[in-house]
Amino acid sequence: MSNHRVNIIGYGMTKFGEFYEENSSSLASKALMDSINNSVIEKNEIQAAFFGSFVSSSNSQSSIGVNCINECNMSIPVSRIEAGTASGAAAFHQAYLSLLSGLYDCVAVVGTEKLSDYVRNESIERILGATIDSHWEFEMGATLTSLYAILTKAHMKEFKTTLEQLASVPVKNHKNGVHNPNAQFRREISINRFLNAKRISDPIGRFDPATFCDGSSSVILASSDFIEKHTNLETTIPVLGAGQATDNLALHHRTSLTKLLATEYASKNAFKMADLTHSDINVAEVHDSFPIGEILAIEDIGFFAKGEGGKATENGETEINSNITINPGGGLKARGDPFGATGIAQIVEIVEQLSGRAKERQVDNKNYGLTQNVFGTGAMVYVNIFGESEVKR
Amino acid sequence: MEPPKIWREKRERYLAIGIQCQDCKSKSFPKTSFCTKCSSSNITEYRLATSGKLLNFTKVTSTSKEMNSYAPFFVGIIELDDGIKVTGQIVDCKFEDLQDEMRVRMVFRVLARNGEEGLIRYGFKFTPE
Repeated sequence: MSNHRVNIIGYGMTKFGEFYEENSSSLASKALMDSINNSVIEKNEIQAAFFGSFVSSSNSQSSIGVNCINECNMSIPVSRIEAGTASGAAAFHQAYLSLLSGLYDCVAVVGTEKLSDYVRNESIERILGATIDSHWEFEMGATLTSLYAILTKAHMKEFKTTLEQLASVPVKNHKNGVHNPNAQFRREISINRFLNAKRISDPIGRFDPATFCDGSSSVILASSDFIEKHTNLETTIPVLGAGQATDNLALHHRTSLTKLLATEYASKNAFKMADLTHSDINVAEVHDSFPIGEILAIEDIGFFAKGEGGKATENGETEINSNITINPGGGLKARGDPFGATGIAQIVEIVEQLSGRAKERQVDNKNYGLTQNVFGTGAMVYVNIFGESEVKR
Repeated sequence: MEPPKIWREKRERYLAIGIQCQDCKSKSFPKTSFCTKCSSSNITEYRLATSGKLLNFTKVTSTSKEMNSYAPFFVGIIELDDGIKVTGQIVDCKFEDLQDEMRVRMVFRVLARNGEEGLIRYGFKFTPE
C-alpha cells in the first residue's frame, strides 16, 4: 500500500474577495502557477489537472480548465468536476483516485469560482437553489438559507442551543481570519453585531452566512514513487483517509434534521481508511457556510457529543490550540466562499498547519488534520484526513 | 422555471399526484417510475392527502427574481395525513400565528411570475386549517 500513498507536494491560492478585473480562469491560472512554484517541481512533470467549479457559466465558459491550461502553456488532460458547493473536494477526490489507480504519478487540483459577476437577490439565489432539491424545495419557495434556518431551529429546539452559542461560531472564525492573509475579511466582529442583526430567515441573521466571492486555490498531488525520485521536495503531506457520502437531497425526506448523516458516514469511512479516530485529529477545517453548519460538523465528525457543539464553541473549546482547533484559517465565514475554491482552500490551510507554516495562526500539536466540505444542506459530504509526515506512521 | 419542466410535472404540480406501490404499498412524492422503497415498477398514481401538520418553518426574505415579489413569505416542511412530507409555503396568516405541529390544509395558488419565460407558475401552498 505504501507505494500507492498519495501526498500533497505543493499548494497555492489567490486571496479571496471581489476581483472585478479578474475572470475565473485568470484566477485559476494564478493559483495553479502558485502551487507549481511552491512544489519546486517542473511544470511539465504534471500529468493531468482536475478542476472543481460549480457555476459552469462563470466567465461564460464551460470546462474552465481548458482556458487555464492554455494560459499556463501546458497541454495535459483536464476535467471539470462539479458537486455544487463541494466541487473543490469532489475534484480533489477524483485527482486522488487517479493517483491511486496508478494511471498518474503527479496531478494538479484547482478549485475556482467567480461569483461577484452575479446579481444578488436574483441569480445567486437561483444558483444556490440548485444545491437543494431545485424542483420540490427551491421552486416551492424554500432557499438554501431558509433550509439552514430550519436546521438551526431543529437544533435549538432539541438541544436548547442558543443564539449566543451559534454566534460564537462566526465570532471565533473572524478572530482566526485576522491572521489569514488570503481571507476576504480580516477583522474581528463582536458577538452583539451578530445578535442584533436583522433576521433574514429566522433565526439566521444578516451577518451569519458566509459571503459568496471570487477566488482560486490549488494543490499538487504526487505518488510515493514520485516522491522517492524527487528528494528536494519541501512539502510531503500524506493523504491518509478520504471519505464521501450521500444523503437525501430534500430535507423533508431526511430522517433527522439535527445531524448530517452524510458527514457521519464520510468521516467514518475516512477514519477507517486512516486507521485513526476523531480524538487523533488536532486541527480541522469544516464547512461553516452558516453557524449551524460548523456545530453539526463538529458533532457529526465526533469531536463533540450530539447536542454539545454549541456549548463547546461558546466555551472556547474549538479555538486555536484548544483540544481541537476548528477553522484556524477563518472558515468559509472569514475567508469568503468561492464555492469550487473552498474545498481546496480548506486543504491548503491544513497543509500549511501540518507543515508548520501557518505563522500567527499555527497550532502547536499538528500530527493529523481533517477537512469537511458540504454540498447544499448536506446531500453530499467529503471528508479528508492528512498526516504531518509519512515517517510518523 | 422552464415551461417543459412545468409541463412534465403538471400532474404533481396541479393535482398533487404521487405514486403508490402495488407490491409493498408504500407511497411517495414526487412521481417516479419505480417504487422508491422496493424499486418495483408495479405502481399506480395516487392523490396526496390535502391536510396535515406543520413540522418546521421559517421566513424567506430574499429569493430568485420570479418569486421575490412575494417575499417575505413563510416556508416549512409539512407532514400530510398520509405520511408524505413536502416543502411548501404557508399563506393567509401572520408569522406570529405559525406554530410547530399546527394543522394546515393544501390550497392552489400562484407560485411565481415575471420569470424569464413570462409564465405564471401555479402550485400548492398551505394555509392554517
